[in-house]
Amino acid sequence: MASSPAPAELDLPAIDDVTVADRPWIVLVWNDPINLMSYVTFVFQKLFGYSLEKATALMLDVHEKGRAVVSSGAREKAELDVFRLHEHGLWATMQHED
Amino acid sequence: MAKRGFIPPIQRHGDQYVFNFGEGESELLTRLLNELSQLVVGEADDERLVRIFPPAYHLATDAEADAEYQRLMREELVATRLSGIAVVNAALRATEPVDDETMTAFVQSINGLRLVLGTMLDVSEDMDPDDIDDEHPMAGEYHLYNFLSWLLDWAVRAMSEPLSEAGT
Repeated sequence: MASSPAPAELDLPAIDDVTVADRPWIVLVWNDPINLMSYVTFVFQKLFGYSLEKATALMLDVHEKGRAVVSSGAREKAELDVFRLHEHGLWATMQHED
Repeated sequence: MAKRGFIPPIQRHGDQYVFNFGEGESELLTRLLNELSQLVVGEADDERLVRIFPPAYHLATDAEADAEYQRLMREELVATRLSGIAVVNAALRATEPVDDETMTAFVQSINGLRLVLGTMLDVSEDMDPDDIDDEHPMAGEYHLYNFLSWLLDWAVRAMSEPLSEAGT
């Protein structure tokens, strides 16, 4: 999971830097034994406006696969989403999209 | 025969919520929440807080970004925790119906207590906190944890009513 991205051929490092910086970020929520399934579903609906169906599917993904991508976007937006998830006590982190 | 039907601990009435707590329950929650307030402003590396202040960037390559996030946002998280707890404590004293904002503070605070207790008890997927023997040295903490889970579940149920309708 925590593998580094493959090194690119850096003939033009300046341009490559730009593309790396522009790559979107994804927000992940990780499975944990404390948070209730009902609470996690509720938080997904509340913070992201997801339907009950979508929020439940995401919660089950977290529960069964260990993690799920719950949102994505620019770094500032991803950080804010992570922060709001932390306010609610969910185990959320972010990383560049692969 | 039961004297009367079961009354849920939290009920929705229109756009407000009613806490049906006994005095002992309100006092217990206030005491626990005050302890949580002290904990979040205490030692930064207290192990009981790992789930209250998790990392934002999990990749080792983003360690610098995480340090920056912690530097800027941890204080914000502490502030939200403290203001939320203050709102909940005031609501517990007032015994009047509460609004949606107060309920949000309530679920965040109750879950905060569960995160700390669950960390202390090292709760895992392989065990059911409901199955703890009364002889267990931490039986009291497990009962508390179960009580808070039960309360949170009812709070979520009450708050989910309009959300569920809107989402379908």
